[in-house]
Amino acid sequence: MELSVDRLTKQYGNKIAVDCVSTVLKPGVYGLLGENGAGKTTFMRMLCAILESTSGEVFLDGREIVSMGAEYRDILGYLPQEFGYYPNYTAREFLLYMAALKGIPRDTAKKRAGELLEIVGLNDVGTKKMKTFSGGMKQRVGIAQALLNYPKLLILDEPTAGLDPKERVRFRNLISDYAGDRIVLLSTHIVSDVEAIADEVLLMKKGKLVSQGTVSELTKEAEGKVWELMVSPAEAKIWQEKTAVANLRHEGEQVVLRILSDDKPTEGAAPCEAGLEDLYLYSMRECLK
Amino acid sequence: MELFKLEHKKLWRKNSTRVCVLLCFFYCVIFGSVLVYQWLTFGSRKDYGTGSRDFDGYENIKDCQTYFHKYGELTDETLQEWVRDYQRLHKMVVEEERTQGVKNKEILKQYQNSGWETVNSMLKKLYPELERQDMLTAMVMSCYVEPEKLTGIYERREQAIETFLDISGQTGAERDYLLRINEKVKTPFSWKWVEGWSNILGNAVSGLGTAIALFLAIVLSSLFAGEWHDNTSPLLLTTKNGWRKLACAKVFTGLVFTLELFALTAAGMIGSQLVFLGTEGWDMPIQTVKMIAIAPMNMLQAEIYEYAFTLLGAWGFAGVSMLFSARCKNHVLALLLSLAVVYVPMAVHNRVPAALGKAFDLLPLVGSGADVFRTNTFHLFRHYIWSPYLLIWVPLVIGILCMPSAVRGWSRRMRR
Repeated sequence: MELSVDRLTKQYGNKIAVDCVSTVLKPGVYGLLGENGAGKTTFMRMLCAILESTSGEVFLDGREIVSMGAEYRDILGYLPQEFGYYPNYTAREFLLYMAALKGIPRDTAKKRAGELLEIVGLNDVGTKKMKTFSGGMKQRVGIAQALLNYPKLLILDEPTAGLDPKERVRFRNLISDYAGDRIVLLSTHIVSDVEAIADEVLLMKKGKLVSQGTVSELTKEAEGKVWELMVSPAEAKIWQEKTAVANLRHEGEQVVLRILSDDKPTEGAAPCEAGLEDLYLYSMRECLK
Repeated sequence: MELFKLEHKKLWRKNSTRVCVLLCFFYCVIFGSVLVYQWLTFGSRKDYGTGSRDFDGYENIKDCQTYFHKYGELTDETLQEWVRDYQRLHKMVVEEERTQGVKNKEILKQYQNSGWETVNSMLKKLYPELERQDMLTAMVMSCYVEPEKLTGIYERREQAIETFLDISGQTGAERDYLLRINEKVKTPFSWKWVEGWSNILGNAVSGLGTAIALFLAIVLSSLFAGEWHDNTSPLLLTTKNGWRKLACAKVFTGLVFTLELFALTAAGMIGSQLVFLGTEGWDMPIQTVKMIAIAPMNMLQAEIYEYAFTLLGAWGFAGVSMLFSARCKNHVLALLLSLAVVYVPMAVHNRVPAALGKAFDLLPLVGSGADVFRTNTFHLFRHYIWSPYLLIWVPLVIGILCMPSAVRGWSRRMRR
């Protein structure tokens, strides 16, 4: 299975939300990173065929997805960023409703809903109305509904938002187990989640796809651009104003800065090992100044 | 089917739906039916000044029905006999009032339960020349009219219909058409106590549509538009059955809910009707309620017509309401538009030209099932059509025409 995106563009008036994005997604887990307004959600909505592109196309195994219609939606699982639900439905009823919409026979749906509630840790509250759920619980129902039809293409927009650390770990394990020969694309601001499960990372900035590769490939891009510098608190303020500081920690009376810079910022700066977060922040470095 | 069942369940899960059904039932069945029979309309009058009544409608209704058992059919003789009986009772009540106050409650009750309101209106319509134009007009005509002058009742009726058609400007082919319908009315009329049926056909069933419109609008306006409120459109659009099957399930749910609301309310009303009135008088022609009615229908047929009118009108209205719900993202706006379709034409009906008023009647739940008592016609393609024939079907057709548009409109909005 191959999902190829060809020069996909979405324009709202004068604003370009997604700018000529081309990529190919094969089975595996893809993490989509980008600051707020980078175009991640718009890009995902176009991949789900619920938003018309201004130009460009998306093909699944050579077939244009919009023209595939129900056939495409049959293999798709989607969790939108703002997950809507019916407050008076119980979690189980909501899953059965979504299963009916996905064309899953009732008996299969009942079994699958039970399995998924177990998987997302909501089995004991499956008969409670969703209006009584916390944000994280609702999010878990959202994840469960996306998995109902064993989708071959799973698109999750900020799936870990609102989940506590324990649930995030559960989610990461779930996705890793699930992926196999399927395509999973998830967007998040939590770089460690992507680092933990993504086979490949797509980095978006101002509507453009600026980088794509495995975590190790991308961190290589940041190598030689991450520096540590120990300074006084007064100096730290000056450094924060003139350069991109990814992190700041106090050590006794001194402050240790993690600086993102193409060149060695000063004689006392020591190079250090780059991570995915460094690359992410490096690409957004003008926002850090 | 599964989708429909779940959509239907979802609708009933909403608190607003349950409250609306409960209020509709309370308003139409408890307030508009049970209390009307037992107290508000058929309870015996405490006094004529305040119009307050006792909580004894059930006994009163039985007394009224018993009072009419002796007449059987409406003929010159039975009408005269009724007037004589009434005048005798009137005299006794007046005499008692003058001397010692009305002590004999039995006579007073019989006097009140003699069905004088309907007969009086019949006399005024058929024997206008006998109505006094002096100070005594405050007195009901049955009190002073000479019984032996009340003759030729059916000839008088024919004459009254013709006079009415002349006054209302219904001449030529239209008049012939209406008179042809009237020819099918069989005489003499079976004659029993009429007030109960008059209330059912004149107020209760025709009022049901007005109440149902309000509650249907509240429930159905959020059927499609509610998805925007719940922010579920991205989820719905990415499912295999997507918007199309869901929209069809929603339309079907709307229609089934309309049937359920109607059935629940109508069953309650018919149940209380059977408890309080029984079935007596079902075979009376509707002319016993309104003499110049031309429809060859008995009470049961007219009641069936009025309920069918309400149900078909409600389905038509459901279609319109669902269209607004599908076209508006805001369900409050959808609600206001739905209500406007019914209540604005009702409010301005008497202030617009007659032709426009008649056109308004064709809108779902705007017209009235009580048109079976009237001689209104529509002139279409050089043919005259008696209004009830059109009034019952056109609202349904309007609703049906709205449904595909609702499905299409919703999908278009969802994809934007």
